[in-house]
Amino acid sequence: MPQTILHADLDAFFASVEQLDRPELRGKPVVVGGPPERRGVVAAASYEARRFGVRSAMPMARALRLCPEALRVPPRFDRYAELSHRVMAIFRSITPLVEPLSLDEAYLGVTAEVEAHGGPERLARSLKERVQRETGLVVSVGVGANKSVAKIASDRGKPDGLVVVPAGKEAEFLHDLPVRDLWGIGPRSEELLHRAGVETIGDLARLPAEAATRLLGSRGAELRDMANGVDPRPVVTSRERKSVGAETTFPRDLPDGPELRAELRQLAEEVATRLRHEGKLGYTVTLKLRYHDFRTVTRQQTLARPVDAGDEVERVAAALLDGLGTAGARFRLVGVTCSRLVERGAWQPDLWGAVADPFADGPGRTAPAQAAEGQRPQD
Amino acid sequence: MKVAIPQDSLARALGIVSRAVPSRSPLPVVSNVLLTTDDHRLKLVATNLEIALTVWIGAQVSEEGTITVPARLFSEFVSQLKGDQPVQITLPPRSRQLNVHCGRDEANIGGMPADDFPVVPEVTDGQRLVLPARGLRRAIEEVVFAAARDDSRPVLTGVHVQVADGVAELAGADGFRLAVHRLRLPAPSAEGSPEPFSVNIPWSTLDHLGRLLSESGDVQMAVNGERTRALFRLDDIELVTQLIPGTFPNYQQLIPTTYATRARVSVEEFLHETKIAAIFARDGSGIVRLHVTPGEGGGPGSLQVSARADEVGDNRGEIDAAVDGEPSKIAFNSRYLIDVLSVLEPGELALETSGPSNPGVLRPLGHDDYVHVVMPMFVQW
Repeated sequence: MPQTILHADLDAFFASVEQLDRPELRGKPVVVGGPPERRGVVAAASYEARRFGVRSAMPMARALRLCPEALRVPPRFDRYAELSHRVMAIFRSITPLVEPLSLDEAYLGVTAEVEAHGGPERLARSLKERVQRETGLVVSVGVGANKSVAKIASDRGKPDGLVVVPAGKEAEFLHDLPVRDLWGIGPRSEELLHRAGVETIGDLARLPAEAATRLLGSRGAELRDMANGVDPRPVVTSRERKSVGAETTFPRDLPDGPELRAELRQLAEEVATRLRHEGKLGYTVTLKLRYHDFRTVTRQQTLARPVDAGDEVERVAAALLDGLGTAGARFRLVGVTCSRLVERGAWQPDLWGAVADPFADGPGRTAPAQAAEGQRPQD
Repeated sequence: MKVAIPQDSLARALGIVSRAVPSRSPLPVVSNVLLTTDDHRLKLVATNLEIALTVWIGAQVSEEGTITVPARLFSEFVSQLKGDQPVQITLPPRSRQLNVHCGRDEANIGGMPADDFPVVPEVTDGQRLVLPARGLRRAIEEVVFAAARDDSRPVLTGVHVQVADGVAELAGADGFRLAVHRLRLPAPSAEGSPEPFSVNIPWSTLDHLGRLLSESGDVQMAVNGERTRALFRLDDIELVTQLIPGTFPNYQQLIPTTYATRARVSVEEFLHETKIAAIFARDGSGIVRLHVTPGEGGGPGSLQVSARADEVGDNRGEIDAAVDGEPSKIAFNSRYLIDVLSVLEPGELALETSGPSNPGVLRPLGHDDYVHVVMPMFVQW
């Protein structure tokens, strides 16, 4: 039986929340993020600001150069989490199959709901209207037979989009789109594909399987399938969360420095906000870094006491970064994850927690840094 | 080999050494028991390579010899034999079939050569001391349960034994609780008191040892010079164990020296109410909540033990308490409370607390030789 999956993505979410709460910002270029003098990065930009070329993860100083009249506001993650919660609740009232991807994005499994709503387009329209009416936010929606198609569809329609890809028309919809629109193709993969003459998703779809693997490594087969409109990943809901994480791929590779550190701070804050949102605390903080050559390393530290505050998560992540020896290295991605989660309402603190390094002379509980060398997908 | 032994003493000896036999081992001979004639005795040895148990029993030895046979099979067979007849054990020369004969029952058990059996290491060149069996048994009972069962911090799977100034202090701790028992040693002999030393003994070794200890008599303990092995000698039993390397963390700093509230309660009543609350706590992360209320106008105070689980239900139970200090509340994992209350001797204990997020302390009254520290759970009151 063909599936119907809906991808819902709030437009310029953080910036829209600011414009919602502060009417004087409406219709104006708004950028959310830390101040340029503290090397802040853009967490979100309103569509008015995007017209000037401002993008997420861009250094704030650069954003303000591109758009000098932009109004900068500091992020308020707790407020975003609150609104995200309300939007997700609307999604859940439509279908129990909701898989949130982040605060502003979710997949909805709506196969069983489509008929009762009079078809996918009507369902998507009523969802958009409810979100607008009940929260004042604008959500772009894509509907398709699988996750990959639905996500590309919601992206194509932005802002305030509604794109339905009828079953069986996936290839037609995808084939003329640029290959970077495919989930999982970043700037680096795009460049490699371009060099091989692959410009559109259709070009990738027509590529022999071996060529796809040669160009894209282990993900080649999966990406080629997606290019052909095939994506078997199911909508996963209500799993017991084992971790909460966030990561950013930079528009260009960054050295360790104020920009990277600012991004780390923002990720830590986002992770901490989501932990609080879910009523959890995390014992283990993991830092993920991808080097310019796709080599990926993770470093983690387990704490004596679980945390849910942004500055605590940031402090641990920053210390892990300090311990890495980053001189001369350039990074394309940074991520922060909290794991070993416990309920905030009731958890068992550690007896040794209050004592400064009781294991200084003996074997430690957890190696402070565990390394995991990643694969080079391009090799 | 040709030996005759009373059935009951052979069955008892096999029962003891069998505890060291691992249920699964990469080395097949380790699931066997080693039988060796030793003067006028039969020596039985079993090992799981971490500990080795040796038992000697009086026997009528007509021919010397040695063999290993499957411990479980041999032990089960012997335990079923009639007690009023001696068991005749015969190993013909150059044979690996042990013939076991008792009254009208007879069996042949295939064995493996004694040479294949691991050698039990000697423990000779280090410290020696004498421990009172009864006191050691109690100390083990009160401490072993608190040692860590998972080996994320390997040193905590051991019980730390520190000998100094005529006292052996046993301490067990996992991440959440600490049990410390101070065992007074018998007056030093003519050789003088033992040199101070400390070792980490695997909790499972002490658990085995505790089951072997009787109500009276002494236990001799020896540690080798490298502090890698220890030996315990009871009358006709020897236990040799590996020790756990590493420095046990300084636990003294975990024992609070002050309190805001001290409640004296009956150990039995506290245990009883905790067990009731644990039924309700089962669906709520095992949380048991304690409320201590001082008495008014000279009346007794109270300790309320309660638990609740969302959508399941709740309960409250109350016992008398002589309270010193302010009213207090604290929440514990029910299992941690039951573990310690179950091993304390009947009588009174003092529960000392300093707020809901600081460690609670339990001290049996009348013995200043034991203290238990347990970390409360963080709950939303």
